[in-house]
Amino acid sequence: MPADSSTQTLTVALIGNPNTGKSTLFSALCGVRQQTGNYPGVTVEKKLGRAEFHWQPFTLVDLPGSYSLAPRSPDEMVAVDVLLGRQKAVDEPDAVLCIVDASNLERNLYLVSQVLELGKPTIIALNMVDVARDRGITIDLDILRKRLHVPIVEIQANRKLGLKELKQTLVDTIKANPPVPDSPFPEAFQDEVKQLESQCEDAFHTPLPRYLVERLLLDTSSYLSHGGIREINDSIQSAISASRERLASAGMPVPAVEAMARYQWIGKLLDGVVRRPDSSTKSRSDKLDHFLTHRIWGTAAFVLLMVFLFQAVFWIAGPASDWIDWLKGYASTFVSAQLAEGALQSLIVNGVIEGVGGVLVFLPQIFVLFLFIAILEDCGYMSRAAYLMDRLMSRIGLSGKSFIPLLSSFACAVPGIMSARVIENPRDRLITILVAPLMSCSARLPVYTLLIGAFIPNERIAGLLGLQGLTMFVMYSIGIIAAVLVALMLRQTILKGATPPFVMELPSYKVPGLGIVLYRMLDRGWAFVRRAGTLIFAVTILVWAAAYYPRYEAAANPSEQLRHSFLGQAGQFVEPVVRPLGWDWKIGCAAIASFPAREVVIATLGVIYNLGEDEAEDFETLGETLGSATWEGTNRKVFNIPVALSIMVFFALCAQCSSTLAVIKRETNSWRWPAFTFAYMTGLAYAAAFLTYQIGSLFVG
Amino acid sequence: MDEVLPLNLLSRGQAAQIEQLMGDADQVHRLEELGLRAGVAIEMLEPGTPCIIRVADQKLCFRDADLFNVIVRPGAASCGE
Repeated sequence: MPADSSTQTLTVALIGNPNTGKSTLFSALCGVRQQTGNYPGVTVEKKLGRAEFHWQPFTLVDLPGSYSLAPRSPDEMVAVDVLLGRQKAVDEPDAVLCIVDASNLERNLYLVSQVLELGKPTIIALNMVDVARDRGITIDLDILRKRLHVPIVEIQANRKLGLKELKQTLVDTIKANPPVPDSPFPEAFQDEVKQLESQCEDAFHTPLPRYLVERLLLDTSSYLSHGGIREINDSIQSAISASRERLASAGMPVPAVEAMARYQWIGKLLDGVVRRPDSSTKSRSDKLDHFLTHRIWGTAAFVLLMVFLFQAVFWIAGPASDWIDWLKGYASTFVSAQLAEGALQSLIVNGVIEGVGGVLVFLPQIFVLFLFIAILEDCGYMSRAAYLMDRLMSRIGLSGKSFIPLLSSFACAVPGIMSARVIENPRDRLITILVAPLMSCSARLPVYTLLIGAFIPNERIAGLLGLQGLTMFVMYSIGIIAAVLVALMLRQTILKGATPPFVMELPSYKVPGLGIVLYRMLDRGWAFVRRAGTLIFAVTILVWAAAYYPRYEAAANPSEQLRHSFLGQAGQFVEPVVRPLGWDWKIGCAAIASFPAREVVIATLGVIYNLGEDEAEDFETLGETLGSATWEGTNRKVFNIPVALSIMVFFALCAQCSSTLAVIKRETNSWRWPAFTFAYMTGLAYAAAFLTYQIGSLFVG
Repeated sequence: MDEVLPLNLLSRGQAAQIEQLMGDADQVHRLEELGLRAGVAIEMLEPGTPCIIRVADQKLCFRDADLFNVIVRPGAASCGE
């Protein structure tokens, strides 16, 4: 039986503290009918899902996990704007679904007390009832329901228990009359809010919601009054200051009055409702933590886990990448055989296939990394890792939360930068994003391998330390050292300010949910393909065109053609600039061609050198070819150890990855930061390569 | 025991009650939202910088800052929660 003719899609906003199982509930309610996007002007992800109950369609809006509805930045403002119907990107919610962790009611009710002030129909989903029970916590729901005046539904989101009742309650609650907003604040404070509200009403054309007026009075971070709410003028400002002075002299200083009032309200609400066991028994989580957060054992376990993680990335992703490489080669051969030689063939083989392949080849390791990150996040270990690494990271002015993003960047900066979202402090997050591309990612490895194999002698220092391995180690260290220096410099120049105290919740351990883990992996991996993939593809085609045009009919071989192409001309044009690095124009060419994606350098070097030299030596490796290359018109070798080192140092530090820059743009929501990253990394790379060659030449002569 | 001391001087397993959060009002407010507030009973689980403490039913990792500190009164909390 269909519902009455007025069956409209109802919008429900889902909100809750972090680590309460909010994403699990969202997935359990909507299944795969989810779509993600962005709210304009912020970096918060817009997540919508569709659900249906008794022919009643719902749109569920998943708001970011938060401890409080007290916006201090545009990102935090999104949730408040959505709840109040001020965010144009989604419909005004008909109800608010508040998910609450039963094992930590007191803190969770802080957010609930704010949500109740919005005056929207509200439903509380009490999750993790099983965890609370295991800890011996009992909750008298009958009393709580009577005191709270909103429906409370017990659920276990991970086992999909209680969902039917939850949906039924949603429908019933929306049909019922909206509740009268309940304020936990003292009368005197409420009077001040009302007074300010009427002043705002006189000053603006549209009245400001009561909750925002209250926030204006409470927000000492001055975000709301200075841009957060656009309509605020000077007379309102002075009214706010006067009101705060009155409150302070009445013993209700702002913002302390908020926590005071809300916790008092919670205290009254929970009086006689929650019973805990007299003696706190150690839970399984506590026993695990005793080991995993131990200074020595915990750190050892962490290091082992990270070693395993990286091994796994190479074990799983390595063969998959090789397979994609093989497929790329096969496709090229196939197309070459089918199409006549010419612009179209070259476009498809060197442009399209190379471009698509260049994106796909990163996918296996990006997916594997995202898989591991999702598992570590969901089981609760991530915050322990952040705790262990905080000691180290706080020395460079960051927090432990920056460690995993930076570590992931050793495989690929793209997932690294995307996982920096867990860092709440905006400045820490920005610094992490800006230095992450300095970590030697896996695309740099082929460059190191080629040049080390060809030019660094396979000798041992003191019969122990292999020179080749040492060089590799130095290359990885250069990136880390540069990142530390840049982070320290940023903290002291453009991103300075006092370090705020660092607080992080350590949630209880749990078995990761398969669905949520897979969903997060696919969602983030797909985001990479969509955002970065298209750009890599486009730029690869551009580089192809620059190497292919203008056509030089007299060219005897591809190398000759390349010399006369736009790319070749550019290489010759920059030769004076790269000469101090010990490079000839061909290396310059290869470096320019690899700005969109650094791994292109191998292929480009192959084209430039391979056929330009002695054609009799057909079967030599690229390394040998490079070794025998000479400066044009002389028989002086182009490559020697200082040149090889200077190329490697350049590649270690340079921002040669358009997908990284695209992701930085996406995550910082501005072109300024990718431009800055590009400029500082390229400058740094040039300076370091210059020093390497000049100093190296003193020894090698 | 009557004296108060900074949180980071508690030893492993020691119980205390938060006396005061000292520092910028806005930062104090943020910690209060997380349940770290005056009058609450805590237990030091892993001392050091950062440390891990138990606050009510949750575990928090905490690192103080140059102009920010949590002052506690050691001993079993008597405040009725």
